[in-house]
Amino acid sequence: MESTEKIIEEWRTQPAPLLGMLHAFHERDLKITEEAILAIAKALRIPKAELFGTVTFYDHLSMESGSHDDLRICTGPICSLKGSQEILKAMQGDGARSMPCSGRCDVPIPALRGNRTYQIAPDAIVPTPETPRPIPNPGGLEECVFAEIRDPDRKSLAGYQASGGYLAAEKALNDLGRERTLAEVKASGLAGRGGAGFPTGEKWQAVADAQGSPKYVVCNADEGEPGCFKDRTLLDHDPHLVIEGMILAAFCCGASEGFIYLRYEYPETLKTLGQALQEARDAGLLGKDILGSGYEFQIHLRRGAGAYICGEETSLLNSLEGKHPFPRNRPPYPVTHGFNDLPTAVNNVETLASVPWIVMNGAARYAALGLGDHKGTKLISLSGDIEKPGNYEVPLGLPLKTLIEEWAGGIPGGKKLQAVTMAGLSGGFLGAEDAYAVTLDEPSVRAKGSFLGAGGIMIFDETRDMVDLGRQAMAFFAHESCGKCFPCRIGTQRLTERLAGSAGPDTFAAWREEVEDMGQVMKSSSACGLGMAAPLITESLLRLFPDDLASTIKKANS
Amino acid sequence: MIDKTKNTYELTLDGEVVAFSHGESLFEISERHKKEVPTLCYDKRLDAFGGCRMCMVEVEGFRNPVASCTTKASPGMVVHTHTAKLEKDRKTLLELVVSENRQVETPELSGFASQELTQLANRYDAITGRFAGAKSGTSRTEDLNPFILRDYDQCISCYRCVRVCAEREGDYAINVMNRGFATQITTEFNSDLRESECTFCGQCVQTCPTGALADKKALRDRKTVGDIKKTRTICTYCGVGCSVDIMSKEDKIVGIQPAMDGPANLGALCVKGQFAYDFVQHDDRLTTPLVRKNGKLEPVSWTEAIDVAAKGFEKVSRDHGNEAIYAIASGRAPHEASYALQKLMRAGWGLNQIDNCSRA
Ligand SMILES: Cc1cc2nc3c(=O)[nH]c(=O)nc-3n(C[C@H](O)[C@H](O)[C@H](O)COP(=O)(O)O)c2cc1C
Ligand code: SF4
Ligand code: SF4
Ligand code: SF4
Ligand code: FES
Repeated sequence: MESTEKIIEEWRTQPAPLLGMLHAFHERDLKITEEAILAIAKALRIPKAELFGTVTFYDHLSMESGSHDDLRICTGPICSLKGSQEILKAMQGDGARSMPCSGRCDVPIPALRGNRTYQIAPDAIVPTPETPRPIPNPGGLEECVFAEIRDPDRKSLAGYQASGGYLAAEKALNDLGRERTLAEVKASGLAGRGGAGFPTGEKWQAVADAQGSPKYVVCNADEGEPGCFKDRTLLDHDPHLVIEGMILAAFCCGASEGFIYLRYEYPETLKTLGQALQEARDAGLLGKDILGSGYEFQIHLRRGAGAYICGEETSLLNSLEGKHPFPRNRPPYPVTHGFNDLPTAVNNVETLASVPWIVMNGAARYAALGLGDHKGTKLISLSGDIEKPGNYEVPLGLPLKTLIEEWAGGIPGGKKLQAVTMAGLSGGFLGAEDAYAVTLDEPSVRAKGSFLGAGGIMIFDETRDMVDLGRQAMAFFAHESCGKCFPCRIGTQRLTERLAGSAGPDTFAAWREEVEDMGQVMKSSSACGLGMAAPLITESLLRLFPDDLASTIKKANS
Repeated sequence: MIDKTKNTYELTLDGEVVAFSHGESLFEISERHKKEVPTLCYDKRLDAFGGCRMCMVEVEGFRNPVASCTTKASPGMVVHTHTAKLEKDRKTLLELVVSENRQVETPELSGFASQELTQLANRYDAITGRFAGAKSGTSRTEDLNPFILRDYDQCISCYRCVRVCAEREGDYAINVMNRGFATQITTEFNSDLRESECTFCGQCVQTCPTGALADKKALRDRKTVGDIKKTRTICTYCGVGCSVDIMSKEDKIVGIQPAMDGPANLGALCVKGQFAYDFVQHDDRLTTPLVRKNGKLEPVSWTEAIDVAAKGFEKVSRDHGNEAIYAIASGRAPHEASYALQKLMRAGWGLNQIDNCSRA
């Protein structure tokens, strides 16, 4: 067993040491002990009360004996449809507890114990098999991000290089230079794939222009949005693609340090990434003088500890810095005041993974991958009542109907589509009519009062209880609300109670008025995207399923 | 772009062009122009936090209202502080806040800012019973410290207490545990305040806008008859000279509040200035001079007492010389008494051997 001093020594001089220390103690003691908190507080000069509060913030850290090895069963919306709530109930006596959507909606119900993921059924629990690769592009279209992912050797450095890996870095660092590389990214029209859709080239330009050093690139691999499992799929099968994307980002931004912030629920990915990073370091692809260009860039891998809000970039930065992970007030934005208040580009995994292809094939060709005016492609994680759940790389502008009906085999059992979610859960629901009318791009989806976001889409057939799904979604937001701002902290709780029928007015008219007033104030005044997005759930339910809501309320009050 | 070489800029505030200087927040400008933009998580001594969102204002060209406390002004902004939509949203927010608490009224003796939520809820007519549901916060009635009531049933998670403790007091004794609706103010390991880093300065009590943190000693006089009268004075304990308001009901001192505008303390006090006022009206307080006779202290007249003291000094001076005399003035003595004491030392005995306990 490692001594406390040794753990502290190992981490204290590293950048962003808190999460690493906490996990080391968590694994050693199978819980976070008071002694560990006191030792860390002293070493990192964090006030004890603050560190204690921060530990309680994270879902997967607990001060209860043995909690590290408690079985956590996914009770996300899709796993719940598959019966995970019942399995949880049966196993609660053995210490099992629930975890929110853990990013594996395309496979049987996942469960997590310590550093291993399992698949669980009422009568069996087996280690999770390898992450499924995306099926060949059903439209026969050219791909960017998934271009090589089906190559079984891509995971290793040798395999990656055998199919053109690190040639983009070579080209940028030793041929194009910073200006031309950045110009290419700008011209491609690539925009953030993590949800907010900010133009990537502009973000990097802002970091490059900002005062202060060192500069940082952070790969946001927190993937906490329910119904999203694209980032993990990429990292599991093509980790070097993301590393190469980070090198290119860093080169464009003038950054010398990088972090990958990986969600806690992906322990196998943690291992894969750790190995890939080591291979890259050993081959001189990371570190000093990358590819003989004189350019220096390091990447540090950090594991989250269970908090959806830590996917929000400023909360993520606070988490890395060892602070309480509330989102920060913006402006200033991370491009000028990011990690340690220094210029930082935070980018989603998929965004970064698009860049090597863009550098190799050019902006024009990337832009042309989209349909009509839309530039490029988007990964969509499809789950729920669909014949072929999984990840798809679609051209932006593809009709959702084509994806559902033609690419993914339609709704099983000849049932009819009832509704879909957008942006995981953050975009609320689209009814069948809208779902069959939209194309997969922000303008089209936004015109229906929703948004495409990170690209998680859950499909629900006509038999599903939409009010209950809405309740689960709101309970998720309430569980994940950080508690910083009033509209979200109280609003997500009240909306959950109202969808559950456990509190609230007994007439539908009064119910509706309360829910709409709250939704309005949450949307306009919440301090971050979580609180702004949550009321899209109730808003869309009121629009699509008012009768179901009315009868739920009636039932709750009879 | 802000031109940092210029000192003043202009923006439009509710239709009027007003000047501001670099770095000012929209809230600060609104305050200056008496807009009465409501707040709950704001304390002007602390870094703006942006939690309550009551202070939101509309800025033309922005999709959503912004929190005026955390938004820096920039030239040419067109700002609206009280549109019908803002006022409706503020009322809804207040109704939500009211709904998480068990009561809204709180005794005035709880603390300096304790009436903020009540007053705002009344101003917006927000005690409507809407949004009923689970209550947040768990009171720590078992914390038997003698000074601070921790009635978190009343807490609205504005974190002013946490921030004042860190930013003003530098003690970092308290923080936030859990998240969302389950957030709760805590010490390390959720302990009693007496086992924490708390120095009982009381600043958290005085900034709390709900009375969730309250002055236990003052609340003893909650039912004492009489109106609360505040008398501005200087704390008598030490040389910092913190301004305080002594609260009294008729002839009784019922509590102390720091003066938020006290030039030396800006609302800060230490445990003594904040809580140690009982001596003034305590039964054990001396009201006549005492002289020890046959080993027992007995009340005597001032003439007799001064006589005894003078004889004592005479003897010391005779036996050991004037240099054996040293005076320490009490920090609690008024100016006049301190002046007289140094006069006695300097003019009387020709000594400079005088000091004051405030230097301790
Ligand atoms: C509540 C919330 C959760 C988020 N979670 C993630 C996430 O898990 N992964 C991600 O890449 N972006 C997430 N984001 C978006 C990030 O804040 C940020 O916009 C993104 O990482 C920027 O990268 P991009 O420009 O490449 O998309 C989240 C935003 C919010 C408001
Ligand atoms: S909107 Fe919710 S998650 Fe975001 S800062 Fe406010 S309370 Fe936290
Ligand atoms: S009394 Fe002072 S030291 Fe104690 S918690 Fe309050 S502000 Fe902090
Ligand atoms: S105890 Fe008072 S000051 Fe502290 S968070 Fe609660 S309401 Fe705010
Ligand atoms: S005063 Fe601005 S958010 Fe509270």
